[in-house]
Amino acid sequence: MDIPLSGTFQKRKLPHLAMRSAGLTYIILMIVVPLIVILQDGFREGVSELIRQISLPIAKHAIVLTLWTSALMTLINAVMGLITTYVIVRFSFPGKRLLNALIDLPLAIPTLVTGVMLVMLYGPQEAIGGFLSQKISLDIIFAPPGIVISLLFISFPFVVRNIQPVLQELDLTQEDAAATLGASPWKIFWKVVFPSLFLPLLSGSLLSFSRAVGEFGAVVIVAGNIPLKTQTAAVYVLGAVESENRLGASAVSILLVAIALLVLFIANKLHQRWGVKQ
Amino acid sequence: MSICLENISKHYGYQVVVKNLSLEVQDGEFFVLLGASGSGKTTVLNIIAGLVQPDRGEVMLHGRNVTHLPPQKRNIGFVFQNYALFQYMTVAENIEFGLQVRKVAKENREKKRDELLDMVGLVGMGNRMPNQLSGGQQQRVALARALALEPDVLLLDEPLGALDAKIRVELRRTLKNIQQKSGVTAILVTHDQEEAFNLGDRIGVMNFGRLIEVGTPQALYQYPKTEYVASFLGSANLWLGSIVGNQVHFGTHALPLPEDAIQLSSNSRAQILFRPEDVALGKSIDDLGCIPLGEGKVIEKGFSGAAERLCVEIPAIQGVRAISPTVPYGNPDFLLDVNRSPEQSTNTPLIPGNNAWVGIRRLHVISHPGLKFLIVTDSSLRSQSAVSLGGYMARMSHARVLLLGVGQDKVKLEEHLIDARKLLGSGMASLQVKSSPNDLTGAITNAVEMQPFDLVILGWRPTAGFDQPDQILQTGEHHLLLAAKPVAKLSKALICLASGEPGKDNVIFAGRLLRHLGAEATLLTVVPPAQDEDESHERIDRFLAGGQNSLSRFGVPSVVKIKKGELVDAVREEMSSGDYDLVVLGAPLPTSTRKTSMTGAIRDVLSNVENCSFLIIRSHQYQRLQTRYWRNP
Repeated sequence: MDIPLSGTFQKRKLPHLAMRSAGLTYIILMIVVPLIVILQDGFREGVSELIRQISLPIAKHAIVLTLWTSALMTLINAVMGLITTYVIVRFSFPGKRLLNALIDLPLAIPTLVTGVMLVMLYGPQEAIGGFLSQKISLDIIFAPPGIVISLLFISFPFVVRNIQPVLQELDLTQEDAAATLGASPWKIFWKVVFPSLFLPLLSGSLLSFSRAVGEFGAVVIVAGNIPLKTQTAAVYVLGAVESENRLGASAVSILLVAIALLVLFIANKLHQRWGVKQ
Repeated sequence: MSICLENISKHYGYQVVVKNLSLEVQDGEFFVLLGASGSGKTTVLNIIAGLVQPDRGEVMLHGRNVTHLPPQKRNIGFVFQNYALFQYMTVAENIEFGLQVRKVAKENREKKRDELLDMVGLVGMGNRMPNQLSGGQQQRVALARALALEPDVLLLDEPLGALDAKIRVELRRTLKNIQQKSGVTAILVTHDQEEAFNLGDRIGVMNFGRLIEVGTPQALYQYPKTEYVASFLGSANLWLGSIVGNQVHFGTHALPLPEDAIQLSSNSRAQILFRPEDVALGKSIDDLGCIPLGEGKVIEKGFSGAAERLCVEIPAIQGVRAISPTVPYGNPDFLLDVNRSPEQSTNTPLIPGNNAWVGIRRLHVISHPGLKFLIVTDSSLRSQSAVSLGGYMARMSHARVLLLGVGQDKVKLEEHLIDARKLLGSGMASLQVKSSPNDLTGAITNAVEMQPFDLVILGWRPTAGFDQPDQILQTGEHHLLLAAKPVAKLSKALICLASGEPGKDNVIFAGRLLRHLGAEATLLTVVPPAQDEDESHERIDRFLAGGQNSLSRFGVPSVVKIKKGELVDAVREEMSSGDYDLVVLGAPLPTSTRKTSMTGAIRDVLSNVENCSFLIIRSHQYQRLQTRYWRNP
């Protein structure tokens, strides 16, 4: 009896093994190997050289600019994403389905095109851009506000799509219960609805932050490539590669990768905790 | 008066989910709203709470008109079926929530919370999160939370529905205790009869958005006033007989009329109710000790703890219709539900197959409402068909009629209604006339909101489109007659059946109607051309023979036909060969989630068969019309 049993076991096991090795090999080739290569390249001259490369005034400015524009964008995105999702899920209005479909659009259009669209809208020669620049002397294009706006555009879906399923699944009777207990709609939102949305909101915001830190296409069109002024980290890396400053490119790249990994790690942790809560 | 509802109605589209409902609940009373799912009972509760706005009517709480107040200002406690605890707050925070909103001082809040935790039996659980509690415990927290504000009224929406049987009984007791101790007026919604009987000081029975009857559990069980309540509560043996003088007649049997039924008009049809425990069984006629019905045969035996349940078959009684238990399709005999005490079953042991004499110890008589028709006319040519055909059917079946005139032009409508009354002629059991300036569907919606009808009769041409009939099917549970010919006679009907459960309802209602008309029927089933001959034919033959049997119980002569191909072709072919006045089709009942509309085969028939009237019979047994009749892809 033992022999046929182990025979079928073997038969079942073989395809499993093939499948598993194919998947693992793919991940290693596509993700792990490039990561190792860039790490090795960055640390080639030692840690102190890596830190020196990052601390160069132009590099440092680019990194700081990237971080604060991304952070500001994330804040705006969190607030507005929450409001937008609430409206889309809870209210019915004509064109709701179309609007819902449009939210994913930023994921689909090339980010370069996004940049071009924003330049057409806010450029100094255009109506809106000209008006803002003359009346309240707010420059959007080739200035940090342009960076924030383009980052908002490209990372808009992350917050909405993270909260939306949770809000849709939310049990309305909890809100009804709160209403019968005398709570105002505002209080119901903060005490009953928001606690359920907090973790998905946070994880969506972190995802949009990590996406924004590495953004290149939209930013390079909208903000240009002006060192010490509008040059972001990703654009700096391109400049470094083109001027054959391979070490500088690797160093800043490693920092970007590290930030992205850290944020993803936190977002993942949040997801896990939130999964347990559910 | 704690709670007073006056003429509450709620529509969703054309569907009326609460129909003209009025209710008064006394201070400190435990009131139970009992009904099948979809009967509108939860909507009523939500309307009292202010979670749903009624379209019409007023809600008074303690003499205060709260109809337009939000839930926050009504001072009610609400307990939901799914507990609805705030997931991100502890048990204590949940209970204190309402007090915190009212800005009650911390120490008072905590004192109240501890009191409530003690009351619901959860002392020491204050720091738990809701998801760390069992279902029963969560519902206790929800109850404490609802009581924290000392509400005027406690509303409970199937609070025990999601719990295990044992915990349910336990929590039921707690609930009743707490309600009695606190003296709060409570309304509980449930579909569970046992729960209703156990908890309710009074019970209101709902069906299709209407409050059918209100009374104490004992009164509703022993002395119901309506057929629905009689057959909905517990099991009932309900027959249709008649009152002659001060006696109840059914077939050759005559029993003295019980005292509470004296006020029923003599020489009228009446329903006779006897509960399973009112039936006596004996080996011989002398064993019975009460009025004998005849000899029957035990066909089923079951056991339910306190009682032995038997099902006894007795020969059909001429001139009597069994309303409940429903006579099995195609079976000529009547069935009786019998409950016996352990003592009785030891004294006279019976097993399936045994013969036994059957007698009645006690009976209750309910007046028989008969059929109720709504005839709709809008002074167009086609509504003349509705008036003449509807009038004829109503006269023959002794139905009560509401003639509803619809139109904008008041003068013209009045004139038309005078003509229509002439056309209806005399000999109506009861005739009411109403006019409405609304559109046709709106007028019908309003009419069925006020009272139920068995049949809505409407003039019809295939060219008029399906919107109106579709909408009218939404408005209620009535059957629909689309009258195409202004005939004043109906002698032959074609009943289209798919061989399956819903077809049985068609046969039974058609039988009830055709019996009065003295009409004959053809039962038609259409099978796909490719279907395997022998096996399916045998089944269909059996089904149709059953249908004939059921019709013959009503005294309706019938023939059966099986055709191959499309339903619409078969109906047309049959129409040309026979001289039919009416085609009978089936349609599902409206539900809260599904819109009924006439699609598929039924629509093909309606639009392609000309110059014929259609009777569309509703059954809750249809899922979708498409699967109802076989149809070529």
